[in-house]
Amino acid sequence: MAVREIALRINGRTHTGRAEPRKTLADFIREECGLTGTHLGCEHGVCGACTILMDGEAVRSCLMFAVQAEGAELMTVEGLADGNRLHPIQQAYWEQHALQCGFCTPGFLMTTLAFLRDTPRPSEREIREALAGNLCRCTGYQNIVKAVAAAADTLASGAHPDAWPAFARSVAVPAPATQPECASASDAPNPPVSKKTRAASGTRRKGARDQSRPAKRRRS
Amino acid sequence: MKPAAFEYHAPDTVEEALGLLEAHGDQAKVLAGGQSLVPLMNMRLARPAVIVDINRIHALDHLTPDGDALRVGALCRQRSAERSAIVAARCPLLHAALQLVGHVQIRNRGTVVGSLAHADPAAELTAVLAALGGTVTAVGPDGTRTIPADEFFVSYLTTSLDPRELLTEARFPTLPEDAGWSWMEIARRHGDFALAGVGVVLAVRRGRIAEARIGLTGVGPTPMRAVRTERALAGRAPADALWTEAADAVREEIDPEGDIHASAEYRRHVAGVLTRRALAEACARTAKAA
Amino acid sequence: MKLEGTNTLAAPIETVWKMINDPDALRRCTPGLKELKEIEPDHYEATLNVGIAAVKGTYKGTLTISDKRAPSHYMLVLEGSGGTGFMKGVGLVDLEPQGEGTLLKWTGDMQIGGLIAGVGQRMLGGVGKMLIGQFFKCLEQHLGEDV
Repeated sequence: MAVREIALRINGRTHTGRAEPRKTLADFIREECGLTGTHLGCEHGVCGACTILMDGEAVRSCLMFAVQAEGAELMTVEGLADGNRLHPIQQAYWEQHALQCGFCTPGFLMTTLAFLRDTPRPSEREIREALAGNLCRCTGYQNIVKAVAAAADTLASGAHPDAWPAFARSVAVPAPATQPECASASDAPNPPVSKKTRAASGTRRKGARDQSRPAKRRRS
Repeated sequence: MKPAAFEYHAPDTVEEALGLLEAHGDQAKVLAGGQSLVPLMNMRLARPAVIVDINRIHALDHLTPDGDALRVGALCRQRSAERSAIVAARCPLLHAALQLVGHVQIRNRGTVVGSLAHADPAAELTAVLAALGGTVTAVGPDGTRTIPADEFFVSYLTTSLDPRELLTEARFPTLPEDAGWSWMEIARRHGDFALAGVGVVLAVRRGRIAEARIGLTGVGPTPMRAVRTERALAGRAPADALWTEAADAVREEIDPEGDIHASAEYRRHVAGVLTRRALAEACARTAKAA
Repeated sequence: MKLEGTNTLAAPIETVWKMINDPDALRRCTPGLKELKEIEPDHYEATLNVGIAAVKGTYKGTLTISDKRAPSHYMLVLEGSGGTGFMKGVGLVDLEPQGEGTLLKWTGDMQIGGLIAGVGQRMLGGVGKMLIGQFFKCLEQHLGEDV
C-alpha cells in the first residue's frame, strides 16, 4: 500500500502531507496538518467528536480516508475564531456554559455552524434533532441546546455577516420550501419532525411523555 | 481502531470500476458513502484487500424522475434525496424514512443505494424499497440486470449481488396521487437502527381498500412484505377495527429474533402496534388526498 | 445464546450416524471451515474463517465429539478464538428413526464474545441460526449424494 502525497484545502489554506490511503481524514488532519482541534472519540462513526465540514456539510472525518477529501473545501474548528475573536457560536457556547471538558465541543461547533446556516431560526426540537449525531458525556446537553438557540439569535440579528466564510458554504441543494405533511397532532408548523423522536427518544423534555420504558405504557 | 492496509482505487467511470471488480472479485469492496463499511474497517471486522472508491464517478450522482418512478443514482447522498422537492412530492414514504436514517452527518455522506447494498436487517431504506416494490440495477461482466427488492435482499448484510457487480441505481415507484402512506419505527435512541419499523402504502377507492402494502424492517434477516396481511386487507372497508386485525395478522406473519436491545416478543408486539398506527395514518392521508 | 432445531433426513439412522461422525462430512459442511486436522479420534484442530458478508473473522481452535451413544446421540464442541473475538458452541445431537428416514434434533449453546459480539450483537442469534442451518442443509446434500 503506497504512501502518497495528499494535498487538502482546510480553512482556506492548502495543507500537504504524505500518507497511505488507509489514513483516515481525521488522523491526517491531526497528524499531518497539525490541526488537533478535531478529536477522535470512537472512530466508528457514532460520537461526532471528529465532525468537520466538507464542502459545507458536516461529516464524520473518522469515516473518510484522507485521499477521498482531495479537491474539496474542508473546514475544521480552527477555522471558526478570527485570531482572538471567538466566532459567535463559540461565544454562545462559552456564555451558556455548554462545555465542561471540551472534548466533544469542536464536533458540536461544526455541526452547529452548518445547522444554523441552513436553519437560522430553529425550534428547540429542531436543535435537538440537529445535534442528535453528537454525543457529550459531561454537560447533559441542556446548555448546548441553549447555546445553539442563543447563537441563532445572535446570528439572525445580522451583526455577523462573516459568520460563514467561503469554506463554510454549502454546495448542496437547499431544502424544499414546502414540506409534505408529517402526521403528528402536536407538530408546530415546522419542517417534519421525526415521529420516532417522540416515540423513542430518551430525552426528557418538559411536558413530553416518557416513552423510553415501553413495557410500562398503558396505551398500545 | 485503524483499518488494515488495502489497495486503493478511485475510478472515474463505471467501466473502470467494473474492470477493477472483475479483476479482484471478492477481494474488493465498493466504497461509496462509507458510513457502514468504514466503521467495520476501522474495527477490522472487515479487511477488504482492495477498495474501489466510486465517489469520483459523477455520472452516478443523480436523482431522476422517470415516468412512475424515481431513479436514484448510486452516488445520490441520502441528504440530497432528503432535501429533494421531487422526493418529497412524489415519494413521501421515502422522504419520511430518510429523515430517520442515522443522523445528519451520516446522511451527508451515506448514499441511498449504499444502504440498499449494505442490507442491514434494521435499515429504513431497504424496507421502503420493499414496500414500494422497487428495483435495483446492477452492472457486471455479464451485462446489466434489474433486480426486484424481494429477490435482492437475501439475508443479514447479504444481497444477491455478485462481487463483480456494481449497483448503479435504484428505482423507487412513486405513489399515485390519491394514495396514503406512513412510516413508523421505534428505536431506543433517535438515530439508532430500528427495533421494528413499518412502511405502509394504502389506496382506497369507492370506500374499499384497493391496495395495501406493508413493508417491515427489524423483524427478520431482510426487510419483508407482510403479503398475507396485505391480501387480507384487500377489498375491505377501512376501519379502526380493521387496523387492529391487521396488527394481529402481521404479528402472526413475522418471526423476529431477540437480542439485548429487544426480545422477540417485544419486536413482535411493537411491529403490530406500528402497523396499526401506520395504517390509520395512511388512511387519514388518503382522505386528505381525495 | 440457546438455539435448537430439527431436521428430517432421508436416510436410515445408521447412515446418518456414520455421516455426522465422518470428518470429511464435517470438513465439507461446517461453514467457513478452512482446516480440520485430527489430533486423536474425535478430537480435531480447526481453523474457521466465518462471518457474514464483509464481516469475517478467522478463528483457531478445536472440534471435539464426545458423549457418544451410537447410533443416536453425541455432543459436539467447537471452540475457537481470533482477532475479532472468541466463540464456543456446544451442540447436542439426537437421532431417532422416522419412517424410512431419520429425525435429527439438535440443541446448541453458543457463546460468542469479543469485538464481533459487542458490535454485532443484534445479528448474532439470527446469523448463528443461519450458519447452523447451512450446516444441516449441507449434510442433507451430502447424504443425497452418498445414498
